[in-house]
Amino acid sequence: MTDTQLEEVWRREAPYVLAVLVRSYGHFDDCEDATQEALLAAATQWPTDGVPSSPRGWLIRVAQRRLVDQARSEVARRRRETSFAGSGASADEGTDADLDDSLYVLLLCCHPALTKASQVALALRAVSGLTTAQIAAGFLVPTSTMAQRISRAKATIAGAGGTFPPPAADLWARLASVRHAVALLHTEGHLSSSGPSLTDPGFSDEAIRLARLLVNAAPHDPENAGLLALLLLTQARAPARTTGDGDLVPLEQQDRSRWDADRIAEGVRLLETALPVGPVGEFQLQGAIAAVHAEAATWADTDWPQILELYRMLDSVAPSPAVTIGLAVAEARVHGPVVGLRRLDALGDSANHRVHATRGHLLAELGQRVEAIEALRSAARRTRSIPEQRYLNDLAGRLRVE
Amino acid sequence: MKYVILIHSNPQPWGHPTEQYVAEHQALPEGTRKQLNDEFEQAFTELMERGEFVGAEALGDPAASRLFRWREGERLATDGAYAEGKEHLAGFFLIDVDSPERAEEVARCFSGPGETVELRPVMSQSSDAE
Repeated sequence: MTDTQLEEVWRREAPYVLAVLVRSYGHFDDCEDATQEALLAAATQWPTDGVPSSPRGWLIRVAQRRLVDQARSEVARRRRETSFAGSGASADEGTDADLDDSLYVLLLCCHPALTKASQVALALRAVSGLTTAQIAAGFLVPTSTMAQRISRAKATIAGAGGTFPPPAADLWARLASVRHAVALLHTEGHLSSSGPSLTDPGFSDEAIRLARLLVNAAPHDPENAGLLALLLLTQARAPARTTGDGDLVPLEQQDRSRWDADRIAEGVRLLETALPVGPVGEFQLQGAIAAVHAEAATWADTDWPQILELYRMLDSVAPSPAVTIGLAVAEARVHGPVVGLRRLDALGDSANHRVHATRGHLLAELGQRVEAIEALRSAARRTRSIPEQRYLNDLAGRLRVE
Repeated sequence: MKYVILIHSNPQPWGHPTEQYVAEHQALPEGTRKQLNDEFEQAFTELMERGEFVGAEALGDPAASRLFRWREGERLATDGAYAEGKEHLAGFFLIDVDSPERAEEVARCFSGPGETVELRPVMSQSSDAE
């Protein structure tokens, strides 16, 4: 077995091991430490001794031994004297026994006291079984910085009070948080590029894997399918989103034959099943908008009235500046640029560069070149993305020349 | 989102931490100096604990600089400080925080009398860097 295959085994087993420990001992932070130590032991022992017949059983035994060792030490015993004995009770009650192990750990990671970024970092370790160094590399920060974030996140969970593990009802209530964390991870997937290329599949693929896990473990909530559909449909466009030189290609100019047809088909199928179930939430609506784009043969064929309707629904379910921008673009296509510009006025002189970029595009359509150039330049000044800045500066430059 | 905090200062003689060699800072009553130092220590410890600290470097005396310029089609190297101005780049901190507001909160704690602290966003290769 190669190192990669070995790694796949312990990465796959990590959330099950952690779930077993937390269900019987409580104390997320200690159990997570013990799981990591068991994975480390596997990394050193398996390559020489071979993979045990039951890798999961082996990992659980090693992790449990670490926990017991720790519990025996004087300090640790004093710390957990009261709770250690009683903590097994919740598992006996079976309140969360119907929860899939991976989802269970994912819900534990998405503790409401943590920031989204911390929830994501913790989930990558606890559910995806990534090492701190791998997570740090993905976020382009030193390993020590990421280690600090993860240990702080665990300490926050340990210190947050309340019963641990939390009752199943409390965990289920975190499902929406989990979806947002997975969506953020998918965005970070694009962000994780350290080289000249814009799209690093690593985190994006992991986000899709976690969204799939959500759909399988909690199929009753159509928003999970909505999230998975959105991620698949977004990811489907990745090959066409940049040129070979790493330049951005706007949706309007993308070569649609390079979109991933399999991912689009799966995304559309998911939405067709999810949408009639209701209630229609933000991820289903965002997914549906992505699906309308995906199903149009060309930019000109896009069903803008339908997109406008979907944005109106999204605006009432989950309003945000990004939704207002989408609404403005759709209104401009259906009712003309002037209507779109009026919508953008509601956002004022925003720090969000996309407001200025969209204003620039719409002004250019109206032939107001001077104002368009000014808006595009102002968007270029505000963005933190080098490819976006280059795209906006080029566009403004072309308007000046014409 | 990443930011760099640039410390512009002119310690005399050149030295670190810069505030120990800046006249305006040294002219403060001892109690105030101690308070400023404590505030910085506390802010820096918090930065580390929150996992927001990415890196930092203190820079050498600008007199030790070598400058490379283009003159009449040739590369020309000279000795000495880049800017004639009152302050020089003395060091920098690289931080990774959740919001612009948090970045400002951190940068504010790094400032002191006789020095200018500059907060600049770091650009990303990502196409979706908001």
